[in-house]
Amino acid sequence: MPAMPTPSAPNGRYNRPDASMSLLTNVMDHSLDEGYAEAAAARGGARDSRIPGTLRGLLTLGAGLALVGAVVTVGAVNAHKAEPTLAKERDALIQRINDSNSSADHLQKQVQELRRKVDGTQQQALASAGDGDPGGLTGVVGLGEVTGPGVKLVLEDAAGTGVGGNVDPRAGQGFSNSGRLRDRDLQLVVNGLWGSGAEAVAINGQRLTALSAIRAAGEAVLVDNRPLVPPYNIQAIGDGPKLLAAFENDMAGQYLRLLQERYGIKSTLSTQKSMTLPAAVGVTLRTAQPVTPEPSPAATPPAGQAPSGSPSAGPGTSPSPNASVSPSAPPSPSASATSGGAPAKRRPSTGTAKTTTATGAARP
Amino acid sequence: MIAVLGLVIGVVVGLFVQPEVPDAVVPYLPIAVVAALDAVFGGVRAMLDGIFNDKVFIVSFLSNVVVAALIVFLGDQLGVGSQLSTGVVVVLGIRIFSNAAAIRRHVFRA
Repeated sequence: MPAMPTPSAPNGRYNRPDASMSLLTNVMDHSLDEGYAEAAAARGGARDSRIPGTLRGLLTLGAGLALVGAVVTVGAVNAHKAEPTLAKERDALIQRINDSNSSADHLQKQVQELRRKVDGTQQQALASAGDGDPGGLTGVVGLGEVTGPGVKLVLEDAAGTGVGGNVDPRAGQGFSNSGRLRDRDLQLVVNGLWGSGAEAVAINGQRLTALSAIRAAGEAVLVDNRPLVPPYNIQAIGDGPKLLAAFENDMAGQYLRLLQERYGIKSTLSTQKSMTLPAAVGVTLRTAQPVTPEPSPAATPPAGQAPSGSPSAGPGTSPSPNASVSPSAPPSPSASATSGGAPAKRRPSTGTAKTTTATGAARP
Repeated sequence: MIAVLGLVIGVVVGLFVQPEVPDAVVPYLPIAVVAALDAVFGGVRAMLDGIFNDKVFIVSFLSNVVVAALIVFLGDQLGVGSQLSTGVVVVLGIRIFSNAAAIRRHVFRA
């Protein structure tokens, strides 16, 4: 046996200090195969057999070592062979991931470009649409830029309610009892503006159409699913002073004063000589169809535009004659723009747009 | 002399014949290699201790390899193959280490 002390007492069973580690100790102590010691004992304690003396013993040792060498070499060769294939598979996978990523990016870009193109083309077609009622109608329904005098209303959350909407949505109270403007308030104000004679309304530069929704999601107020950041800047085009007076006497005006008194929500109302409201984006046409579908379907870009598409073709840049759009079913031209729903109901009379904003259900 | 010759022959055979290892055995080859190394270190240490026995060496080598592969195979069938092979490698590794330490003591007297 090796010169390692074996701590086990011959017959006493004293508690070893490392009793809990007996497995490790066992593995460490009996690292040599016990067969060697037994064979040595059987030989009668002859401790000189370093190398087997007989030829047979030598041959056995040689064969064993040959076996060992073969096993180790085969293992090494096998591992070596498997390595490049593994690396190759990995590389192929990485390559595939990268390829898919870049193609997805490319497709995304294409989608954006095409969407912009469709928007631009639609705006162009609508700008020249209407069978002799060009321009004016698209402005009224929100599909074209409009300019004119009007009223500007700035609503600000009460002081100390978080800046820029950076309120933790899980911080508890939510909208309740705080000095924050709610979607319901905004709905009321916008409806008041329409009712007081506004012809076009935009909130924070986002034009409202007959299908716009003002809603709340968490802590944010959304207009057409786009979150607003306070202060809320509401622009309404109409007969400035008259609109202002009507609004202040309206229920919405009184409501605003109440908000200011009770919650400290600041509102600033002022008339403007001239404002420009942008066109609404993302309006889908549902019932409008091109007049002459055979020569130029609505999807092809107008003649003035390169087919590859300058995506930033603004609304109404050059009304081209071959992209005219006219409503098919209802006789009123307004149906081409109000896009679906019940076109006849919300056809605005040019003087006072009494359209009620399609507001979503208040909050969950 | 014959021993070294046998080792060289084994390496050469492994290198040049390159036997096609069946796929079913491939997972157990690394464990078999570790077991073979353990047997070799044990043999060398026994030789230095003066108690070497060729029969014991051969039998311990073969049984080590087979038992190690069998344990891992059993673990694979039970779904704990990787854990069991870790255990086998730990035990054999500890044995290899302490045998190597004993060899070192014999060779360097330190």
